[in-house]
Amino acid sequence: MAIKDLKQFLETYFTAHHCTINEKEDGVFTVQLTEELDRALMNRPFYWHYVKKMGRPGQPMELTFITNPEKREQKGEWIHFGSPRLQQIMNHLKNNECFTQLFQKVETTERTALFPWLVLNVKISYKGKQKKDEIISIGLHLVNGTMKLEMMDILRDLPLQNTISNFCYTISPIIKVRSGFYRVEAVLEDYLQNQDQEWADESQKKLDEEVDLLKHFYVDRTDLEDPEDQMKREIDDIKKRYEPTVTMQVINGGIFYLADNTMN
Amino acid sequence: MYWMGHVKLNKDDTFIEEFDKVIEREGPFTSWDLFQLTYEAELTTMTSDFDGLRSLDYLPHVDFLPHQIDTAKQVVEHMNGRAILADEVGLGKTIEAGLILKEYMIRGLVKKALIIAPASLVNQWTRELNEKFYIPAIAHRKNYPWQDYDVLVTSMDTAKKNPHCEEIKQINYDFVLVDEAHKLKNHKTQNYQFVRSLKKKYCLLLTATPVQNRLVDIFNLVSILKPGHLGNYDSFIKQYGKSRHKLKQDAYLKQLIQQVMIRNTRKETELSQTKRHIETVWVNFSEDEQSVYDSLVDLTEPFTSFSKVTFLRELCSSREACFLSLQKYAKNEKNSQSYLEPVMNKIEQLPHHVKAQKIVELMEKIGDEKVIIFTEYRATQFYLQWYLQQHNITSVPYRGGFKRGKKDWMRQLFENHAQVLIATEAGGEGINLQFCNHLINYDLPWNPMRLEQRIGRIHRYGQDNDVHIYNIAIRDTVEEHVMNLLYEKIDLFEKVIGDLDDILAELEINDIETEIQSIFSESSSTGEAKIKLDNLTSVIESTHSNHAIGEDQQYGN
Repeated sequence: MAIKDLKQFLETYFTAHHCTINEKEDGVFTVQLTEELDRALMNRPFYWHYVKKMGRPGQPMELTFITNPEKREQKGEWIHFGSPRLQQIMNHLKNNECFTQLFQKVETTERTALFPWLVLNVKISYKGKQKKDEIISIGLHLVNGTMKLEMMDILRDLPLQNTISNFCYTISPIIKVRSGFYRVEAVLEDYLQNQDQEWADESQKKLDEEVDLLKHFYVDRTDLEDPEDQMKREIDDIKKRYEPTVTMQVINGGIFYLADNTMN
Repeated sequence: MYWMGHVKLNKDDTFIEEFDKVIEREGPFTSWDLFQLTYEAELTTMTSDFDGLRSLDYLPHVDFLPHQIDTAKQVVEHMNGRAILADEVGLGKTIEAGLILKEYMIRGLVKKALIIAPASLVNQWTRELNEKFYIPAIAHRKNYPWQDYDVLVTSMDTAKKNPHCEEIKQINYDFVLVDEAHKLKNHKTQNYQFVRSLKKKYCLLLTATPVQNRLVDIFNLVSILKPGHLGNYDSFIKQYGKSRHKLKQDAYLKQLIQQVMIRNTRKETELSQTKRHIETVWVNFSEDEQSVYDSLVDLTEPFTSFSKVTFLRELCSSREACFLSLQKYAKNEKNSQSYLEPVMNKIEQLPHHVKAQKIVELMEKIGDEKVIIFTEYRATQFYLQWYLQQHNITSVPYRGGFKRGKKDWMRQLFENHAQVLIATEAGGEGINLQFCNHLINYDLPWNPMRLEQRIGRIHRYGQDNDVHIYNIAIRDTVEEHVMNLLYEKIDLFEKVIGDLDDILAELEINDIETEIQSIFSESSSTGEAKIKLDNLTSVIESTHSNHAIGEDQQYGN
């Protein structure tokens, strides 16, 4: 579920940050920023520095966004998938919304147990001659060790909140969060081992070929000052360009306390 | 850590370290909404395939031409980010390079990039990368530490000087681009060795003239990108010698070059759909003007004949240009006043220049459309602006010496308010004026490459209409000879001049303008000059037809 509806995405973002949104017309809306978001997005530290020094409250800016490209000539910022503003917002999210702890909302008058799940969203990048990414969302039951894939899709339909509902209580993890993390990592490594390695073999072949050519280039070179140095540097360049590498990086994750029957 | 033989695996412990701490201090925890948005943002920015150009989705405001997209794809998918981009002038090498850089940045493969461009184009590169590609490039300024900025644009002269040079060599660049890379063809120069010594992952060399004189030029360029691809120096020289002719014969060599070089030509691209309509507009000097011209010709005083040709050219452009130049000469050379004064007095008496009058006539014919007028002389530029104003035609000036801001402002005034832009030669490089499709060459440069650059301002990527070019020349003057013998005989207006550069290099003519000027100044009569000029063009012409037609075009695909 990559961003499908940009306007919806922005509305959620700004509302979650307590900004007021005014729809002007279809595809055009204004956002009254809060001080927090003004500081995060508007890049004017001096303004805030001086305002605070003078003991004034300061006036956060109002932004006008245009999501309908037909109207991009109007006054305001045309915001689209490549626009610097959206990149900025997405980076703001990626840097600040990494950790969570959530509870399933349960309407009940009986005592109800909520079980802890470790949820990790992991980006795996495969880099050789070219590069591609894969995102895996994985959940681990911290009591019985069950694992689920596509966890975010499952969670999407659940009511979740930062506080626990009345009459609910949490079961303590038997698997520690850190060991849970390593279990997930081990499963992902296993998954990687069993994948098609053609891309990596091709990249390695290319790497070897170019290093061979390079060495041939330096045969009997007498006209250079430091042929050895130069050659070493160029071999490094080639390695950086082709060396097959896989990187696992956690996007975000958290502990989710869910009712027992939820995941069946 | 090594894993699965040759595949390296990087794991990331920072998340769990941080998360442990957050749990321990019980927060802060993200809300469910923002947690989901972050996940969506990652899904949106990830790259799920090895192939293809993701950058196109990020740049919906730019209309790329098919050949530009193909080029970027080929460089990223097949050349692995090291290539010579050798499109003919005006096809958008900058666009292709920007697209490639953007692609690598989106895929997270490039963070640190260095763009080396001619000093006059540094600001334009910076602006294009920012405006067209949303790449936060910065023009290097004095005292900027090189390490502190991710995408810097600089000139070769700055970069290769110390202390910059040593600082730059220490940096691990993910991407290095050299514009006007034909200046790197000699492996003994400081420029060449500097670029070779940079630590760079991806590398693009941009040039419109990849092979000029000797085949070893291309060997040197390729050796920056892929040392050894064409063998080593000795084996290359032994096999191919230094002449460029081998290139035609050797299919294998051509194929090797194709693996690292892309050359698009107008002929093959959609640009050829817009045509050039060329019209030569002949005018005659008025009697008074002709008499001044003749008396200049007849001056046998000992000033260098070189300056005499210049005076004659200037008189063909405007009274003002010639007058100012004579005045300056008289000031510097004692005793010259006596024989120059009569001519200067005569010039002062002259009525309006016949060409200026012709321009107004032409403008009536063209109607309301935008027109660029090129002249070689600043004095003429001033005069024309005033003269057009007298005839209620609005114009703005443009010169290479203008500051960036003023250039942009003039360009904008021209686009939105004025009908005419009057540019001098130096202003010819670097601005793009595709919204205009009429160009008047008020006087012709004696170097066809510069003419091509003028035309390239409007007949380029982004031009939707046919372009109209008017060349004004005065009969019975040096202009007539240059027009007939240089331009019309070798059909330079119709052809794209790409090949000419190669031909001149083969003839070992460094600067055609100087060559022509010396033909005029060293000849004792007009007849002699005409014969020599005719000989020169015949040689060019025959070299041209001997040339395998479209040879260069066959390199790339």
